[in-house]
Amino acid sequence: MPPLGGEGLSEADARWAGALHRLWGAVVAIGSREQLADLVLPPLQQLPGVRAVWGLRHATDGDRVLAYRWRGVPLTGDLQQLALDLAPGKAGPAHVVDTGAALRAYGVGRVVAARFDQPGQAAGTFLVAVDDTADTGFVADCLTQVVEVTQEAVRRLSSFRDEHEQQVRDALLAEASLQMDAVLDTAQTMYRVPRMAVPAIAEGCLVFVHEDGKPVLRSAVHVDMRRLDALLKEPGMIDRLATPGEHAQVLRARGRVIGLLVFLFDRPAERIPPASFLRDLAARAALAIDNSTLYEQRRQEVVRMQQHLLPSRLPRVAGLRLAASYTVGDRVLEVGGDFYDAVVRANGELVAVIGDVCGRGVDAAALTGMARHTLAALLQEGLSPARALTRLNARLRLDGSWRFITAAVAVVSPDGAVEWTSAGHPAPVVMRAGGGSGRACGGGVPLGVLAEPVLKQSRLELAAGDTLLMFTDGLTESRDAEGRMFEEKALGDTLDRLHGTTPQALVDDLSRAAQTTDDIALLAIRREDDPR
Amino acid sequence: MTDLVLVVEDSDEDIEAIARAIGRSHPELRLEFLRSGSGVLPRLDTAGAPVPGLVLLDLNMPGEGGLDVIRQVRARPELAGLRLVVFTSSENQAEADACYAAGADSYIYKPINFALFQSVLAQTLDYWRSRDANVTHTVVPPPGDSPAQA
Repeated sequence: MPPLGGEGLSEADARWAGALHRLWGAVVAIGSREQLADLVLPPLQQLPGVRAVWGLRHATDGDRVLAYRWRGVPLTGDLQQLALDLAPGKAGPAHVVDTGAALRAYGVGRVVAARFDQPGQAAGTFLVAVDDTADTGFVADCLTQVVEVTQEAVRRLSSFRDEHEQQVRDALLAEASLQMDAVLDTAQTMYRVPRMAVPAIAEGCLVFVHEDGKPVLRSAVHVDMRRLDALLKEPGMIDRLATPGEHAQVLRARGRVIGLLVFLFDRPAERIPPASFLRDLAARAALAIDNSTLYEQRRQEVVRMQQHLLPSRLPRVAGLRLAASYTVGDRVLEVGGDFYDAVVRANGELVAVIGDVCGRGVDAAALTGMARHTLAALLQEGLSPARALTRLNARLRLDGSWRFITAAVAVVSPDGAVEWTSAGHPAPVVMRAGGGSGRACGGGVPLGVLAEPVLKQSRLELAAGDTLLMFTDGLTESRDAEGRMFEEKALGDTLDRLHGTTPQALVDDLSRAAQTTDDIALLAIRREDDPR
Repeated sequence: MTDLVLVVEDSDEDIEAIARAIGRSHPELRLEFLRSGSGVLPRLDTAGAPVPGLVLLDLNMPGEGGLDVIRQVRARPELAGLRLVVFTSSENQAEADACYAAGADSYIYKPINFALFQSVLAQTLDYWRSRDANVTHTVVPPPGDSPAQA
């Protein structure tokens, strides 16, 4: 019989060398720490005299154990506390602990124990429970090697995860920037920021915007919206969340604080992104929110200025009903040049004006105001349309403006006779009370082009219930759903559909029906059924 | 929560990406794919078939869309414990509101980048699995060190 340990140990040595080699090959390929125990515990269990191999994964903070793993005797129930008592309190080389009677029932008298720490990672403890036949020196050497392999695997996993998380953060910044830049609407921008962040980097994300110096919750997204709703209903919670802190990044754009981006985390501390990344995301969000806010402010200013260029109300004339609408072209930040007005002369005639200054912007707006006031004042004083338009033409020529103006004037008598004078303006539509509609005459040359204006005059009659519809080319040159000019077919169809509606409904529906990027001015004059 | 996730998705590319992403992040989970919303209730009603813990739903599918599925499932009280997660690239807030109103548990953005796609799915699964395992963490961040809190 060979001496104990002689031949047996060398065989064990050889087996161990093979196992260790396979172990090194396997651990470099794993993608999760969960897979680690299945690789590193079995080779230790194969060693002579080993009854159980236990693994403990410790929390990064405190003494909690995150996971118990085992081969051989199951590490459950009271044994978990025993394992904790046997575990070394700090990292160090493998050493033998006498377990006395505690594990005798399992044939175990000693445990070879080792603990390893890895900065920023969960620490681990190995306990190899052996019987009296085991060579604890050999087991300790093997355990030391397994600890090395395990530490390397944990280091690789950590570096792989860091790299993956960096990829995720880079991708998030890229996609979030794309999404935020794709819209100019403030509400949409504020919604997209938290929608992109959840749950990739946080379980919840809230946008607060400063209004009158106080933070107002404008958008909130959570992976579990019902839970967030319940949280936000708690008394005082919204104020508490709106307090700057580690997870609440200030939204700062163009040197101003515009709000707060708050992140809610429901994940282990090591999965929370670094503050530098949250700051970066907040900086981009702030700029996108500020851009869309500035855009909206500018757009509102444009709409308000446009309103100042139009009459605040239309005159009331016995026997006639007037209605007007003005639609600002979509997504345009400059004031358009369309205008209309209506005045009543001392003799009871209604004089309606419509026009369009070419171009947009401040210069066009100034000219629009001048043209409208000039025409309205001269016409109200009793000047004929031809003379009023000639005066405006002379004014434009005198100023040396390169801009031209299309304009038309309708003088409507109480008996329904209409004198139409056009300077290059689109012909109006007459809608008949009994159904059907037709275009009247346009013609003439826009004002500001020629030294002597060329005007086209025509006459038409409004019977009771007929409607004269004056408009700018934003209506006729818009496109219908099939891409055809609105004027070709859709205008007639829409007018037929709107037959019998009130003048106000007529102008409102018409401007909605035309999908345009240009401004549209519409003025409708209906001769009432029972003129007094 | 059971280890089975039912994925309702009609796009081949998305099916492949979801299988690859969850296969990497949660190899212990089993995935079952349905290509249309109309198959969901019959599948859930199949006697003896494994019960999913979570349904991952595309919104825009031919025939019955994700919103129809949510309404049908939530009309069945015995399926109340089933988590319904909408996974969509839509940015329409009204659609998100409609899904929550109908009883969806999550309405999650579907990213273009695969690393982000995998992370979004992994975080969603982690969240609902930890919730349903009755593990709770603090949802409110710890107060910061601002003067307001001093």
